[in-house]
Amino acid sequence: MSTTSAGLEFHDVTVAYGRRPVLWNVDLTVPGACLFGIIGPNGAGKSTLLKAALGLVPLAGGEVRILGAPLEQVRSRVGYVPQRESVDWDFPVTVTDVVLMGTYARLGWLRRPGPRERSLAAECLDRVGLADVADRQIGRLSGGQQQRVFLARALAQQADVYFLDEPMAGVDARSQERIFRVLSDLRAEGRLVVIVHHDLRSVAEWFDAVALIDMRLVATGPVAEVLTPENLRRTYAGRLDVLDEIGRAVAEGGRTP
Amino acid sequence: MIPAIADLSFPAGWIPPYNTLVVAAGVASVGFAAGVVGCFAVLRRRALAGDAAAHATLLGVGLAFLLGGGRRDLPLLLGGALSTAIAALLALVLIGRWTRTRDDAATAIVLGVSFGAGITLLSGISARGIPGSAGLEQFLLGHTAGLTAADAMILGALSLLTVALVALFLKESTLVAFDPLFAAASGWPVTLIDYALVVLVAVMVVVGLPAAGAVLVTALVVIPPVTARQWTDSVGVMLPLAGLFGLVAALSGVAVSSAVPRMPTGPLVVIAASVLLTISLLIAPRRGGLARWLRSRRTMAAWAEGRLLEVALRLEAQGPFTREQLLAKTPGAAADSAFKRLVRSAAIEPVVTRVGTDAWRLAVWGRELAAERSRRLAAWTEVLEAAREDARGHLTIDVPSPEAVLGAARMKAIRESAAAARNAAGPA
Repeated sequence: MSTTSAGLEFHDVTVAYGRRPVLWNVDLTVPGACLFGIIGPNGAGKSTLLKAALGLVPLAGGEVRILGAPLEQVRSRVGYVPQRESVDWDFPVTVTDVVLMGTYARLGWLRRPGPRERSLAAECLDRVGLADVADRQIGRLSGGQQQRVFLARALAQQADVYFLDEPMAGVDARSQERIFRVLSDLRAEGRLVVIVHHDLRSVAEWFDAVALIDMRLVATGPVAEVLTPENLRRTYAGRLDVLDEIGRAVAEGGRTP
Repeated sequence: MIPAIADLSFPAGWIPPYNTLVVAAGVASVGFAAGVVGCFAVLRRRALAGDAAAHATLLGVGLAFLLGGGRRDLPLLLGGALSTAIAALLALVLIGRWTRTRDDAATAIVLGVSFGAGITLLSGISARGIPGSAGLEQFLLGHTAGLTAADAMILGALSLLTVALVALFLKESTLVAFDPLFAAASGWPVTLIDYALVVLVAVMVVVGLPAAGAVLVTALVVIPPVTARQWTDSVGVMLPLAGLFGLVAALSGVAVSSAVPRMPTGPLVVIAASVLLTISLLIAPRRGGLARWLRSRRTMAAWAEGRLLEVALRLEAQGPFTREQLLAKTPGAAADSAFKRLVRSAAIEPVVTRVGTDAWRLAVWGRELAAERSRRLAAWTEVLEAAREDARGHLTIDVPSPEAVLGAARMKAIRESAAAARNAAGPA
């Protein structure tokens, strides 16, 4: 399962919406088997970078390689947790229905999930601590539970590389702890986990390496080397209120209170 | 009694003519299929696109009539209707992709333009008195009286085919309707599936034309799914249920119109569908208006009662209190009736006790309730300050015990971090 080569490579990736560039010449290599954070201010292009890796936005230039190959060749080894707000939670499906969607790509056209998929879904729900709400309609869950449903669906994809878009947004501390523990387990199993994240306080506690981005790549590497005041200033330039918070978080060594 | 009525409407031994039976069966399957296919239009928020397609059908009917040399051949006319319906959908896609027009405006434009063109063409045809053109206007509001058994069989077969397609691709359609981003990331051709679903809606709109007409056929596609959604939280149940509602609406509309000469079927079908919808919106469990109203009343009442107890506990420190004093300190419309309920509940387990004509005290039970509520509120305030997302995710207006909701261990951790934060802030 684990790979010796790089897990994820961006070569000169540029993305534009219309005439407005969102990402400039991002050149970034993420080693295999780690918890990797993509950090930056709002509108820095963090989610876009993830979508570029997943082929969800067209590249204006450059290329992305996952596990050393183009996306089309490794699609089945890639798992995805989109932002929670991207779907309608009033949709008439149950928690189990959503987790089963993680098995659909493997099943292919027309084949329906059977007992094997159902037991896999139950197992994934158990891993994120949602076994007791398996039959509930997804709208009747807390924000943290909804996020864990998405994580369980990604687990059901049985991927080697996972992309998560803001998995901690609007999530209570218990869910956050649970999600991070599941992600650490994935890393221990030799998988690569790439997370778009905004809360700098939890970065040092959980992440192995990060990339600071703000339209361009500012810095990348192990957390301790990258989260320097100088790099943070260059990433969050002009956003002084954020700088303050970051300064404090870094001074505390990233411990969450 | 019943035999007499039966004798009046259905003479003994009366068997509906073959044609009537076939038309009824055809219309029933059209209603069923429209409900089923409409589910994804509603869930994917494409209901209005279906309406634009429906209004564009008239143009196709007119064109097909002219191209066919004035033959009133139903399959030919419906083929024309389908081609302009799909052209309208294509126009929507193109406007969305190449111009900066918003979706709703684009829909209104396509609907208006294509409907205007269709009406103009049909009026022109009928003004020239082209032979065979009489009755083309029946596509506007629907009219099933002229349907032959052969026509009805074609409509029924097309309906069953679309239902079969939806059933076959239920997994893929549900995935794309719920989370297109995830579907695309895991390699599904989202655009293709999306277009296929919209084309199916266009097909159903066309097939529904004889029953409901261009102006109203969307109602047959949209109302039954919304009705079904009230009763279930599962797509697997919603689809057949919507089909059933559509079937009932279509059949009853057509039945009533056949009893009234010159009555178009479309409006009757819509009325039947809206009756089902109105009933469902009112009485469906959980989602229905009545259930929601009762639930919100219950939570408001619980909050008002809790608030009264809280105030009463404070007032009681200075001895018995009057009703006036209590209500003065608890503004809000619900307070008065909440007080009455507190007094009435005394019969079972006294919450407040009367100690004079207008002098009240909290009973032992009431004091316990009030104390527990204040404790919970204080605890939730602490959670809100120390772990905001925990409170946001779990606090409800009935003030549950935070220990029960969050777990004792989590609550202990929150308390400790709150205490640590206070200590850190204190000395400075």
